[in-house]
Amino acid sequence: MSFAAGFLRFPDLFPGRRGGEPWGDRSVVLDVAGGPYLFSGLSGVQDEAVRAKFAGLCREPDAGPAIATRVFRAPATDFLDFDVRGWEYTLDMDHSPTGVLLAGLRLMARLDWTPELTGGLWTPEAAGEEWTSVFENYLRVLAAYRLLEAGGVVIHSAGITDGASAFLLLGPSGAGKTTSSRLCLERGASVLSDDLNAVLLRESPHHPGPPLLVRLPFTGDLGERSGGPASYPLAAMLRLVKGTEDRLRPISPAAALAGLVAAAPFVSRDPWRRDALLATLERLARSVPAYELVFSLGGGLWDILQSIPR
Amino acid sequence: MSSVTLSTVLRRRSDVRYRLIEGEAVVLRQSASEVLVLNEVGASVLDLADGERSVAEWIEALRGELEVDAETLARDVLTFAGELEDAGMLEVVAP
Repeated sequence: MSFAAGFLRFPDLFPGRRGGEPWGDRSVVLDVAGGPYLFSGLSGVQDEAVRAKFAGLCREPDAGPAIATRVFRAPATDFLDFDVRGWEYTLDMDHSPTGVLLAGLRLMARLDWTPELTGGLWTPEAAGEEWTSVFENYLRVLAAYRLLEAGGVVIHSAGITDGASAFLLLGPSGAGKTTSSRLCLERGASVLSDDLNAVLLRESPHHPGPPLLVRLPFTGDLGERSGGPASYPLAAMLRLVKGTEDRLRPISPAAALAGLVAAAPFVSRDPWRRDALLATLERLARSVPAYELVFSLGGGLWDILQSIPR
Repeated sequence: MSSVTLSTVLRRRSDVRYRLIEGEAVVLRQSASEVLVLNEVGASVLDLADGERSVAEWIEALRGELEVDAETLARDVLTFAGELEDAGMLEVVAP
């Protein structure tokens, strides 16, 4: 199937440039990892919905640099209708050396490097959860690409902290990211997200130190997470395995890298940015200890994490 | 079933990317969204698969690097080359 044919009635009419009719004249800046991100062309209702959903992260636009996205109207008739019950949603992406096109449920978007990263988002959704869902799906992809530019990555993972340092729990869907997060919460730990977390490498001589696990406003079944600092030094990465006992064993940097590649969304499918992603993930795998963590529901998981040397 | 022999020349497929870390290789095949971890011999085989040298030349190049006897080395290299071809990581340039 050709690009966007699964979502759009007329894939050939996909916007060829960042232009169109904006929804309104409102703008908002989001302070999310890799940002700030500026969104303009919003209607008043869309602006307020974004500010309500991402409350603590929003601020008024200023003259400072930001990753800019313009939001435009798109006719609802441009999009195919779906019965989404029981359906696993995956954005359709078309990659090129200078940009990325996205098509999904009621959204078309493009990221262009001209030469700095800029975005365009087209949707027929004027308000409500439908609009914030479109917005969040676009922001997830934007943040993943922007973080790669900034020396970081977005990882499907659970991010856990004791308030001083953090642990990145990796595994495919069903491996136990949400379950292990709940077990840690019960023992007094904090969870940054049980779905998507950012890791920023700090290799500049001016900002040395271990990689930082950075909070993203994207959560899984555990729901909204907030409070506490936005980032913590990353102490260890753990490949989750469900079992009947709790135990920990070191794994090689290569095994850690394989787990990271499998857990890196969006950018890992992009042949033009794959080498940059692999290089960043390799640096991460070399700089942070990695383990396989077999865990049971018996409650010993948090004690094991606490025993890992910092 | 692979038909790789000592005279076969293979190369990495164009969509294969890999990184060598501490003697192991992490291999990503884009078109299949697969990630593999290879041991030291597998990593060496992947690194040598340049589409110019034969499998026999790989074995010769590895003889001084790996601490295994010649017979075991030849068997392991042939096995790995065949498995990587079966997995779609390598393709035959000349039989």
